[in-house]
Amino acid sequence: MQLAILIAALAGATVLLFVQPEWWLPEAISAHAKNYDSHLLLTLWVIGVLFVIAQALLAVTVFRFRDRGQQASAVEGNHTLELIWTTATAVIFIGLAIAGQGIWAGVHLRSSTDALKIEVLAKQFAWSYRYAGPDGAFARTDVKAIDDAGGNPFGVVGGDDIIAPILRVPAGRPVELLLKSRDVIHNFFVRELRIKQDVVPGMTIPLRFTADKPGTYEVPCSELCGLGHHQMRGTLVVMPPEEFDAWLREGAVR
Amino acid sequence: MTNVARTGQTLLIVASSMLFAAFTSAMVVRRATGTDWIAPSVPVWLWAAALLAIAASCLVAKKFYRSAALCGFALVASQIACAASLRMGDVAQSFAAVLVTAHAAHALFGACALWWKGERASLFWHFAGALWLYVLWLIGVWA
Amino acid sequence: MTIFSTDHKVIGKQYIGLSLFAVLIGMALSLAMRYHLVHPDAKVRLFQMLWPDGAPGGQMTPELYLSLMTMHGTIMVFFVLTTAPQSGFGNYFLPLQIGAHDMAFPVLNMLSFWTTTLSFLVLMAAFVVEGGAPLSGWTAYPPLSALGKIAGPGQGLGQDLWVLSIALFCVASLMAAINFIATIIELRAPGVGYFDMPLTAWAWFVTALISLFAFAVLLAGGILLLLDRMAGTSFFIPGGLVVSDQIQARSGGSPILFQHLFWFFGHPEVYIAILPGMGVISTVLSVFSGKKVFGYRAMAYAMLAIGGLGFLVWGHHMFISGMSPYSSVAFSVLTLAIGVPSAIKTFNWIATLWGGRIRFKAAMLYALGFVSLFITGGVTGLVLGQPGLDLYFHDTYFVVAHFHLIMGVAAIFAIFAALHYWFPLLYGRFLNETLGKIHFYGTFVGVYAVFVPLHFAGIAGNPRRYPDFKEYEFLKSLMPLHVGVTHAAYSLAAIQLLFLFNYFWSQRKGKLADKNPWGAATREWNHD
Repeated sequence: MQLAILIAALAGATVLLFVQPEWWLPEAISAHAKNYDSHLLLTLWVIGVLFVIAQALLAVTVFRFRDRGQQASAVEGNHTLELIWTTATAVIFIGLAIAGQGIWAGVHLRSSTDALKIEVLAKQFAWSYRYAGPDGAFARTDVKAIDDAGGNPFGVVGGDDIIAPILRVPAGRPVELLLKSRDVIHNFFVRELRIKQDVVPGMTIPLRFTADKPGTYEVPCSELCGLGHHQMRGTLVVMPPEEFDAWLREGAVR
Repeated sequence: MTNVARTGQTLLIVASSMLFAAFTSAMVVRRATGTDWIAPSVPVWLWAAALLAIAASCLVAKKFYRSAALCGFALVASQIACAASLRMGDVAQSFAAVLVTAHAAHALFGACALWWKGERASLFWHFAGALWLYVLWLIGVWA
Repeated sequence: MTIFSTDHKVIGKQYIGLSLFAVLIGMALSLAMRYHLVHPDAKVRLFQMLWPDGAPGGQMTPELYLSLMTMHGTIMVFFVLTTAPQSGFGNYFLPLQIGAHDMAFPVLNMLSFWTTTLSFLVLMAAFVVEGGAPLSGWTAYPPLSALGKIAGPGQGLGQDLWVLSIALFCVASLMAAINFIATIIELRAPGVGYFDMPLTAWAWFVTALISLFAFAVLLAGGILLLLDRMAGTSFFIPGGLVVSDQIQARSGGSPILFQHLFWFFGHPEVYIAILPGMGVISTVLSVFSGKKVFGYRAMAYAMLAIGGLGFLVWGHHMFISGMSPYSSVAFSVLTLAIGVPSAIKTFNWIATLWGGRIRFKAAMLYALGFVSLFITGGVTGLVLGQPGLDLYFHDTYFVVAHFHLIMGVAAIFAIFAALHYWFPLLYGRFLNETLGKIHFYGTFVGVYAVFVPLHFAGIAGNPRRYPDFKEYEFLKSLMPLHVGVTHAAYSLAAIQLLFLFNYFWSQRKGKLADKNPWGAATREWNHD
């Protein structure tokens, strides 16, 4: 009796928390992020309904069949019923998996050739970014040329690359990050873009996005990388395209 | 041999196979992803060690368990000598060292079991012998 | 009762005792972490006494927080969730349930227990060696875990001991798995077929099969990691690394390779923790509702399906690891498919209750609580199993909430149910019912209060494994939530003292139990 009420109350409180506005996703600033949010909402609705049905069923069963001296029935199974719920859950679960492939494919399986390429270097516990200069190509690197104090964390040799401690991208244009790490695994995460990708030493991992809304966004490292993990904070600045072009030109002159 | 002992040994063989399967898949992946793979040269006498394993299995079949165990101990000695000669800085050689040492542990266990338990350890010994041929093929031919 | 006993009942109790000791340490560590998260600048004399280097002046350092987090996870996963439900209860009750006189290999059984204990002591030693405990998490991803002292305090000797402890645990678990499977295959009493076994025995059987395949692979991963640390090999360390301004002399290793080996074990490990609990819950629900288990065969097949599919879904821990994005698609479909047998079990549990006559004994309350928690923790798996959605939720508090509910808390509820249910056989007395019920209600509300809010920290994007939340603007607005969770955690921990008291008091002073007091039909209650 008390338990039935408690289960219903806890399930109800859980559902109520999901409609509070205080702690929720941050604003979505790309087409992918908006698709993401709508698929997440669909998934949350599906699991919300399943959650409520299952908890309510449990509470009702507990309430209705509490010990009042009745005779317990001798049912041991019901193949039709079992077949129905097995099929139903299989269809719903696999259906969700298939419906959700679009947002994954949008980030990882489709590529655009005209994207602006930016190399991202993670190290304990800072981010650096590299843009190709006027020659349009990344210069050669060498670990022996690495000089953090001298502003050369990549170990760039020659060339006209632009190296920056803040990630600046033009709004509305596709960007392809080339993620690299110098020591351990890090993770590049922008909440507003709904993208997250491990940065693995020894690999160059591409990550594509198109940010639509100018602004400044935080990049929290999201893979445990050592004692400064929680302070490895990066910054993404989405700029109006013309401002970005001007910034890049200026950087090339210097 | 009792059923319990046979089942226990079979399960041990499954676990050991899984261990070597894991090493093998690690080796396959590591060879494919790295660019530093140099085929290791396996010492000729390691192939002679295969003869020891086969000889031991034949002796087990003829029920000379203690002689078989002696062959087993000789095999272990040659494996340890081999593992000690490999360079851990080289990836293919370090895999070879891991596989040979892991097998040496199995062979040592199997040989001791043959010495004290005789017939009851025969199933495991045949497995250890076959496993050695597989390891040799892996590091001597595939790698 | 001898220390090095080969009697399965003694060994079962020894395993339960080890888990109880481990869970107290694990819980204390979690409280220290929750305290630090909401009071990051506090100076605590206790911390200074316990960890003079990790908390100079009582101020907890980030590396100490991360080492507590690593040890909490390792202790809870291996020495509580893997140890008590399978090796503890399984050792004691499996032979009784199938009519065997003991386990198939009693000496091996004793050796597995003592190897597990040795493994635990080696892990604890990491706390007191120079540099302290490792900080790379229970998943120990290289290169962080492979580089040695240069990667941080605790990454030296502490991490060596951690890997050694895990390797020993693998060996102990393999020995135990062989013993369980051989016992079930060979020692069932005449007339006890596979489908005459209670679902608890089925659960221990499937769990042992999973262990046999999974722990061998973790052992391989552990050996390779240890060699990378100690012998200068390059299995997992790529070339050209620069750590603390020093160029590392390694080449070509693959960090992702370790993740594959780890999660090939790590995902099945989830089922190693939860399947024995599922078996217990099926039994307890059936006994206290006066009905047979609904769909007994379906339940057994569902466990086999979970065990088999469990080996095909490890990639869902690695969607954003940098592995091929195409493989994520396959892993996600398989992952949601594994939800189906889990849903079948939930429906069958409710159907077992339907039409019954439910007696609300403490054991039954925990079992019903388990079902509720299994639903709550399970549905969020449908979010995390989709690679597209994992793009945001991976390594956030949403994941923390999900796995604590379904793997941690649900399994712990099953342990509570099992202890209340089998206490009369273990000690000849009942656990106190009133204390048990108060403890249940407090714990049930407590776990909802702790773990449901954490989902919202995850939805807001809060990364896990952060020693404090001071660096980021967006995390500051989440502080009230974290303060609430921490207070709920204090209450939850406090109410566990009630159980602890009940557990020891009832062993001596509890109400004496008659033979088969619950009216159960299984053999362990009805043999002489």
